[in-house]
Amino acid sequence: MSIKDKVPVTILTGFLGSGKTTLLNRILSEEHGKRIAVIENEYGEVGIDQGLVINADEEVFEMSNGCICCTVRGDLIRVLGNLMKRRDKFDYVLVETTGLADPGPVAQTFFMDEEISSEFTLDGIVTLVDAAHIDQQLGRSDESSEQVAFADVLVLNKTDLVSDDALDTLESRLRDMNRMTRIIRAENAKVPIETVLNLSAFDLDQILKRRPTFLEPEYPFEWTGVYDLDAGKYELMLEEGPDPEMSLVALVNQGESEEELKDGAESSVRLYAEKANTLEPGNTIPYGDHINLKLEDKGNKSFILNIEIPTKIGLFTQHTAEEFNMKVIKSDENKEIPFNTERFWQAEHEHDDEVGSIAIERFGDVDPEKLNTWMGRLLSEKGVDIFRTKGFISYAGNPRRIVFQGVHMLFTAQPDEEWGNEPRRNQLVFIGRNLNEKEMQEGFDKCLI
Amino acid sequence: MPDIEPFSPRGMFHEGWTAEVNDYAIACGWALKGKQFIVGDVAGGLFAFEGDTGKIIWEKENTHSGGLLAMAIHPEGEIFATSGQDGNVQICNCHEGKVIKTLDLGKGWVEHLKWSNDGLFLAIASSKKVYVFNEIGEEKWISEDHPSTVSAITWSNKNELATACYGRVTFFDILNNKTNQKLEWQGSLVSMELSPDGDIVACGSQDNSVHFWRRSTGMDAEMTGYPGKPSHLSFDDSGKLLATSGSERITVWSFIGNGPEGTMPGELCHHAEPISSLAFSNKGMLVASGSRDGSVVASFLKKDGNGDPVGAAFAGDLVGAISWRPDDCALAAVNAKGVVNVWKFKVRTNLFSKGFK
Repeated sequence: MSIKDKVPVTILTGFLGSGKTTLLNRILSEEHGKRIAVIENEYGEVGIDQGLVINADEEVFEMSNGCICCTVRGDLIRVLGNLMKRRDKFDYVLVETTGLADPGPVAQTFFMDEEISSEFTLDGIVTLVDAAHIDQQLGRSDESSEQVAFADVLVLNKTDLVSDDALDTLESRLRDMNRMTRIIRAENAKVPIETVLNLSAFDLDQILKRRPTFLEPEYPFEWTGVYDLDAGKYELMLEEGPDPEMSLVALVNQGESEEELKDGAESSVRLYAEKANTLEPGNTIPYGDHINLKLEDKGNKSFILNIEIPTKIGLFTQHTAEEFNMKVIKSDENKEIPFNTERFWQAEHEHDDEVGSIAIERFGDVDPEKLNTWMGRLLSEKGVDIFRTKGFISYAGNPRRIVFQGVHMLFTAQPDEEWGNEPRRNQLVFIGRNLNEKEMQEGFDKCLI
Repeated sequence: MPDIEPFSPRGMFHEGWTAEVNDYAIACGWALKGKQFIVGDVAGGLFAFEGDTGKIIWEKENTHSGGLLAMAIHPEGEIFATSGQDGNVQICNCHEGKVIKTLDLGKGWVEHLKWSNDGLFLAIASSKKVYVFNEIGEEKWISEDHPSTVSAITWSNKNELATACYGRVTFFDILNNKTNQKLEWQGSLVSMELSPDGDIVACGSQDNSVHFWRRSTGMDAEMTGYPGKPSHLSFDDSGKLLATSGSERITVWSFIGNGPEGTMPGELCHHAEPISSLAFSNKGMLVASGSRDGSVVASFLKKDGNGDPVGAAFAGDLVGAISWRPDDCALAAVNAKGVVNVWKFKVRTNLFSKGFK
């Protein structure tokens, strides 16, 4: 049976009072042409309006090996096992969990139980959060941060009760915890049905289409401009901006392709890790060095760029050029040289929550055996703390990209479409608790060929 | 070639009859000493056919709103019980299908029904509780809440009932309202079978293992390495062989001698897809298996649990249930499309011959 024939299942999580039942009623009452079977763990006061609704008590079954990643939901196995015999009656399943449910065992059930996984496919996890209360809930309970971490879609509900500023702050906190989720703001759980059903959320292509930068790592700089410069003397001119200083790395021979830009970014990240040399206005900018431009003075400030042989210069700057109205000017002609290419980067910022996302992106091929060993060890040591894994990999010698996804230490990898002319690369995202980004990146780098 | 037996087992399925019910057939059984065959479908339809010809005798629709979950035919074959998502149990007469008594057990699904061997009691599992009623539907005993939904029930002797749930098997003396024994093990037990003498308890577990206990000695053992959860278990009538399956393969443990601990089980690999039903014949070492791919195979087993297929047929779609006629001279299979197949079954071996009556 191919994935197309399997019945999609959406899991609806969220704390009591976050609006799950309201959303459920909305889904059931709207005309969407789907016949939805609902498995409900929460016995709320608001009744479910219609549809095939089955109540079941949450039953979390741990295995004798004590592994939390093997823990499944016995009630779901039982109810779905029966529903699979009535497939002519419905074509979609919604599972509404209790407010305190750990989404791990719910998701794992669709991987661990052969009978269930042969008939059903986990389409996505939708988590509702009450915008007015989630801040406190995140501090108080592991369940709420896990529900956020597992979410493919986060519905930020009850936005009418919270100011726009507070919503922005909250959204950025949630985004830090789970960078691959899609955040939707809603009042009274009013969201378009297509944003919560048929997500194919476990399909990475879909995610990339919606959020092409979700796999992007964070950089210590926000902007890169590549300038094609002849031999001569140039000035880097900056006006007043948001900061009295700005870090910068200038690289010679900077290419303009995405791959070359990323290579340049990687070199710059290493340079940024070193201590910056401070430059006063009028000083000459050295190449391949981490420098810090002093910008305290009022008005325009200039720094010198000397070009001996024609080259392309890449400027990797802490802030965007726009923020300082930064320009490159050929000194003798007093003429502005525009950049050939610019590239914005996802900027680093502070992470407060224990739960967060780590992204790894590398060009090239990996050695399948080394990767297996590394992933095997990583998941056996850290599987408890890794909630979700998604990504794709380029196996040396394999014309197809390998798509994989996992929940805790359960993990599936399968060949997907061919690479064709696309540059071969690897993208991975881990969402988990207290993950060590540097260690994981180094581990992955050792698998590269 | 000394290994060749001069008269190896031969058997086959001979054309019998086919019929259809209205929905996915999930339960079936022989009544009136093989003269009648009753089929239940998932929507709550019940159908009684003449055992020899397949001619319909009676049929009923929507017996349980929400759907049928279980059916059990009384050992004497005159009455049967059904249960469903409506929380009800109906005790019916086999001749006309008339309801003799309806038992309302509340809101939970009623998933398991078992008559005691002497037919005096009907055990019923619904959610975390187990009930015992007598033949005319009078309540005789109710258990306390189990730690989880009860996943299997079976009678160990005429007054003692075994229940399985997450983490344990419990034996209740239902006449004296006493717990006789608790066998604990952290795991989700999904199936349970007892040897006919009630001594060996076998449970399939969600973590892809089979756990055994011997009640007389208190010894237990865990058989791991199944590719899927062993939902299907069946003991032969002597209690020497236990067939188990959680995949397309059937693993047979032999309790002869010191086994099965430390022995190699027999393996039967006759199906392309996982087993969906498994049943030993009422007498002898024949095991019938039905698969999700629609294949039905009967295998003749040796004492070590290995064996050879002696007959095979195609039931058309996922086999929902199989049932040997009480005299083992016919085998029935019902499938996910609601098709009923009954084959006359004949086997001759160098040990015994049967079927050619």
